[in-house]
Amino acid sequence: MSIPKIVGIEQEYAIQLKGDPSLTAFEASCMLVNAYARSVGLREPGSQVLWDYAHETPYEDIRGRLFRKSATRQVVSDEDNLRINAGLPNGARFYTDHAHPEYSTAESRGARQAIACDKAGETILRKAAAQLKQLCPEVGITLYKNNSDHKGHSYGCHENYLLDARGHDQFLAGDARAAGRVLIPFLVTRQVFTGAGKVGGEAAHSRGAAYQISQRADFMENLFGLETTHARPIINTRAEHHADASRFRRLHLIIGDANMCETAGFLKLGATQIVLQMMEDGFLDEDLAFRDPIDALGRISRKYDTAIALDNGHRMTAVQIQRRFLERAEAFAGTAGAAAIPEYDAILACWADVLDGLDRLKLSPDFDIEDDPGALCRKLDWALKLWLLNRYRSTRSSSWDHPLLKVLDLQYHRVDSMDGIFYKLQQDKMTDRLCDDGQVAHFVEHAPEDTRAYFRSRCIQKYAREMYLLNWEVVGFDNGEVHRMVPLLNPLQGTREQFETLFDNAADSIAMMSALEADAA
Amino acid sequence: MPESRQIKKSKKKNVRKKENGQAAPEQLSREKKEKLEDLDNYIEDVLEEAGEDFLDQFKQIEGQ
Repeated sequence: MSIPKIVGIEQEYAIQLKGDPSLTAFEASCMLVNAYARSVGLREPGSQVLWDYAHETPYEDIRGRLFRKSATRQVVSDEDNLRINAGLPNGARFYTDHAHPEYSTAESRGARQAIACDKAGETILRKAAAQLKQLCPEVGITLYKNNSDHKGHSYGCHENYLLDARGHDQFLAGDARAAGRVLIPFLVTRQVFTGAGKVGGEAAHSRGAAYQISQRADFMENLFGLETTHARPIINTRAEHHADASRFRRLHLIIGDANMCETAGFLKLGATQIVLQMMEDGFLDEDLAFRDPIDALGRISRKYDTAIALDNGHRMTAVQIQRRFLERAEAFAGTAGAAAIPEYDAILACWADVLDGLDRLKLSPDFDIEDDPGALCRKLDWALKLWLLNRYRSTRSSSWDHPLLKVLDLQYHRVDSMDGIFYKLQQDKMTDRLCDDGQVAHFVEHAPEDTRAYFRSRCIQKYAREMYLLNWEVVGFDNGEVHRMVPLLNPLQGTREQFETLFDNAADSIAMMSALEADAA
Repeated sequence: MPESRQIKKSKKKNVRKKENGQAAPEQLSREKKEKLEDLDNYIEDVLEEAGEDFLDQFKQIEGQ
């Protein structure tokens, strides 16, 4: 029996520095994190909430001991921990990962909610940049929500989905061929709507490409694996579930592009939720295995309507494969599994609308948009960016290798101020919105109310001075002589419906935990 | 006076049509053209502000 597909996004932002040449990207990222943390009261004297790394096991593999990597656990001092991390009042985590500021949304049940949380992350990065500008006017920082620097370096927009332990082990960990028949073909082909678009190519096989629909396709080399900075897999297999491992698993996808367009983001998460739900319920018995999935990923990115060879000898385009999944999803409607996915019908309608649009889209061999009756340029990043680039090319008579096209590509993703080109297009109502500004502003301050994120968020909002650590699955309090922990092992529990009254009535964490214990008894 | 009133009425009617998303084709075309020209200028400004060496300096470290 499937469970709700709780979803979250981890976005690594590109960071560009001007001014002090001695400032590193790591230091600047930490400054951003702390500027924002300070602005929301998390750096007051006496307030010291550490991020608890105890549950992070990046070298353990879901496929078993044979695949694990041997590594010594890094010990992070409390001082560095605070410098790097901020668990935010909206239940999200804002931190420095390697040399990027990274924002991990709180857990959401629905795709639209998750997109609003992702957009709230952009707002928080923008606020952080403004705060830092006030504190250190000499430091110039610009931020970009994309996945490639056009020099062969990539950074991720990772997705996490909650899976039932048994289904996960059956379809992923236990039988890689099962994933190859269904999940991998879906993930390889969904780039037709998730792709963020990119000028040029950065892999050996894509050199000379004019335009690609996916930014990450050039960087995917494997189907499964633990790596994230090289030999990247479509599915990261780290056994790090951030929940009760006897019941739950986390599916960690690192193939996805960062979306600016809300429709693209909504469909990326919503369609993936549906496919995972159908898999868990045993509703998919298709065999759409590609002969070479990684090669297919690149081919589709360079020419989205190319026919790809399947293992069974047939050839299908990405849109045809996505249609097959959509047809199954339409048949799945009305089941208990479908009912567990918020806005199931809206996701199906959006999916059908986009696939119809792709069928009718006409591109010239030089990537000019000749006809777009489905208005994909309002919905999908790769189409909107392509339209923008073509408009610029037409006024300058420039070819695809003109360097300013890559600059324009990058500026589309700028998020540290409303000057970014995507935001300009949005302000001019040239892209469709699925969330309004009010929803996004809400999730800057508040967590989704129907997951454990609500509990974490209320603790930070109300008892931050009494907390000493947190992570996705635990909140820890320092009550003088005693340290007490509240485990949050079930992502579906800890909701507003369950705990709003408790938080409203408990003046401090001791009262809150006493009430919890009384309820448990 | 009657002439003046007639012109005002005509303008009002056009505004209402625009609100309903049914502006006359020539008006829509003019508005769209202005919007696109504004976008073109905006892009020029953004590219100028970014500078010629932007792409050379834009270098990231692999994300985890």
